[in-house]
Amino acid sequence: MTFPLRDRADADAILTDLYLDALLAAHDRRATDVPTSADLDPAIRFAAGRLSSDLARVHPSFRFEERLAARLAELAAHMRLAAAAGGSDARAPLDPSLDPHLDPAFGPDEDPAADPESLHNVRPLLLGGALTSAALSLAGAAYVAWRRSRPPLTPMARAVRAVAQSRPGGGARQGVRPRSLN
Amino acid sequence: MPRPVFGRVSAQKEARSARVGATVAHLDRDRALVEAARDDPAAFEPLYRRYLAQVYSYAYYELGDHHDAEDATERTFLLALAHLGRFEERARPADGEGASTFRVWLFRIAARRRHPTAPLDAAAVVPDPLDVEGRAAAREDVAAAWAAVGRLPADRRRAIVLRFVDEMSTAEIAGILGRSENAVRVLIHRALRSVARDLGRGRAAKDSPAR
Repeated sequence: MTFPLRDRADADAILTDLYLDALLAAHDRRATDVPTSADLDPAIRFAAGRLSSDLARVHPSFRFEERLAARLAELAAHMRLAAAAGGSDARAPLDPSLDPHLDPAFGPDEDPAADPESLHNVRPLLLGGALTSAALSLAGAAYVAWRRSRPPLTPMARAVRAVAQSRPGGGARQGVRPRSLN
Repeated sequence: MPRPVFGRVSAQKEARSARVGATVAHLDRDRALVEAARDDPAAFEPLYRRYLAQVYSYAYYELGDHHDAEDATERTFLLALAHLGRFEERARPADGEGASTFRVWLFRIAARRRHPTAPLDAAAVVPDPLDVEGRAAAREDVAAAWAAVGRLPADRRRAIVLRFVDEMSTAEIAGILGRSENAVRVLIHRALRSVARDLGRGRAAKDSPAR
């Protein structure tokens, strides 16, 4: 039986996923035997084996760990004080002066974990912004061109334009000299 | 109505989860710690100790620099503590007993505003007190694996690091990356294919001069 291409890719991905579950579980119990489906691509098995043994978890320095623990304790104390002063709400307003890493863009009611997709992909936002500003610029240029080509609607405006055009050298655009007092 | 937790859930699965949910007392393994920290922010420390290395590893693999990883880790935990009131537990029985939606929430914070600044450097993290030949070969293998992962597109690299380094389930990764579980499976499968090709090429190049 043959699968359509997309279904087959999905099936391969599921096989890989099941194998990784087994591999990581075996890794946890320090076992060497990992049950494998015969349909699993040997290249996938090879890469998974290498990554499971070669990608180590990186631990920060003890000094950093304790320094951050102290900062968190400081923030916790601040939150307790704020809660005691402000009533039952345990959420403290973020005080950027407490730590420069606290982002004042996040208000106390905002979830800092919200919408990770837009932050993983900053580029489309920038691209969107550029497109928007370009579109605005194009719209602005089109509006100015339309206004310049269009005859004025009121008789007074038409008269002003006619006088300006009848002056030598372009009229209205030329600077008007202040009249001398003499 | 139960909401999707880590990723997208089918209506059937949700209904099944809701039925089983009545019999499961604690779905999220961090529930007790999170509730304690909500009552008293000073009780956040056990959560911090539990996830420090994981968050730091993720940041390091993402940014490729220890100082940047420290900054990102610090920011993640400070924001998590300050905004703990915003966290909503969303565990389902389908996620298994060891699932932690707090961990997913924490990593979603860590995943914000990440830009790789330097290539991954295996030599910076693999301890090598005695540089004997065997270890040198092992170090080469590790460096090659790190390089292969470092060359992956960002979304594939993130998925691989979360799966292999932080040992997360597909459902958790889907929650962090904001994708469906199926999309994450395909992402990891393709990433492993790329890594296999890359490592195979490296091995072939190493073998060819000896012939």
